[in-house]
Amino acid sequence: MSLRTQLLKGILEGCILAVIEKQVVYGYELSLKLQHFGLEVSEGSIYPVLLRLQKENLIKGKMKKSPSGPNRKYYYLTDEGQEALEDFRHNWEWVKQPVDQLLDRRDNL
Amino acid sequence: MNTKELIKANNDKRKLLTKETQKYYEDMLIYIRLSYDKSEHETEEILTEMLDHLLEAQEDGKTAVDVFGENPKQYADDIIGELPKIVTKKRIKYMGMGILYFLAALAILSALFNVVEHYLLDLNELTYKIYLGTQIANLMIAIPIAFLQLIVILHYLRWETFKNINKVLAFFIYWIFGLTSIGLFFVIIYFMPSFGPLIEWNVWFNLIIGVVLYVLARSVKSFI
Repeated sequence: MSLRTQLLKGILEGCILAVIEKQVVYGYELSLKLQHFGLEVSEGSIYPVLLRLQKENLIKGKMKKSPSGPNRKYYYLTDEGQEALEDFRHNWEWVKQPVDQLLDRRDNL
Repeated sequence: MNTKELIKANNDKRKLLTKETQKYYEDMLIYIRLSYDKSEHETEEILTEMLDHLLEAQEDGKTAVDVFGENPKQYADDIIGELPKIVTKKRIKYMGMGILYFLAALAILSALFNVVEHYLLDLNELTYKIYLGTQIANLMIAIPIAFLQLIVILHYLRWETFKNINKVLAFFIYWIFGLTSIGLFFVIIYFMPSFGPLIEWNVWFNLIIGVVLYVLARSVKSFI
């Protein structure tokens, strides 16, 4: 796997956890939320990630009636998921500023 | 919702897709369902989610390609790669059930053939002598071969899913496969040496054994 896809995969996982922390969502809702925040990932790409997060027990899915009628699988954060999200936050803070600075063309070394 | 209800709901909801989207989705559905070592319930759940997603996306004017991309096979492989494997206990139950059904079908069919041959064609007797050792050895070899053939069929069907194979070619492949697989059993029977005690056998024994095995297989199925 290339560095690029691996990097994006990890970031996508973190973002999905962050959306679920704010609000319990089902698949379609989640993809709209991600797009709303400006993450232009293809909608389908969330499902392999959701499966992986469930396998790692970071999120849990539950079938529930949706406001619009049909049964939907809603995702919740588990305690382990909450921890993983805190880790992600921490790591993100840790790389964000230095990387931004390095990429900035105006700054001299 | 249990697995059966999910499958039934899926069958109904699929009809609401546009023709193009339906073809795209059903290819993926077949391909993912044919990955036989994955948990069935998880498989049906993700298929339901994908279908629900397509239905909502369709209302917003999006196509299957917009949602799942240009390469459905690659996408389906990604999904299969993340699905949890079937638990070993269930796997053993399925295998046991498969063997019982196979032996039941073998016993019942051979009894029926024999009866038809006897009464309609005036061939064969209803009682005959068999070598017990030979019969058992034949069965012991036939079971793994039947399994192997099943796996070959599953792999072929998966391979075929996203390709638009010419109907004539597909028919030809099935025909060749059917012929060689039946031929294989005849070769085994032909070359198997005679050994073990020679016993008197009755066709109706086969039928009784077959029905008992069938009932057993059914009861294993209801356990799963």
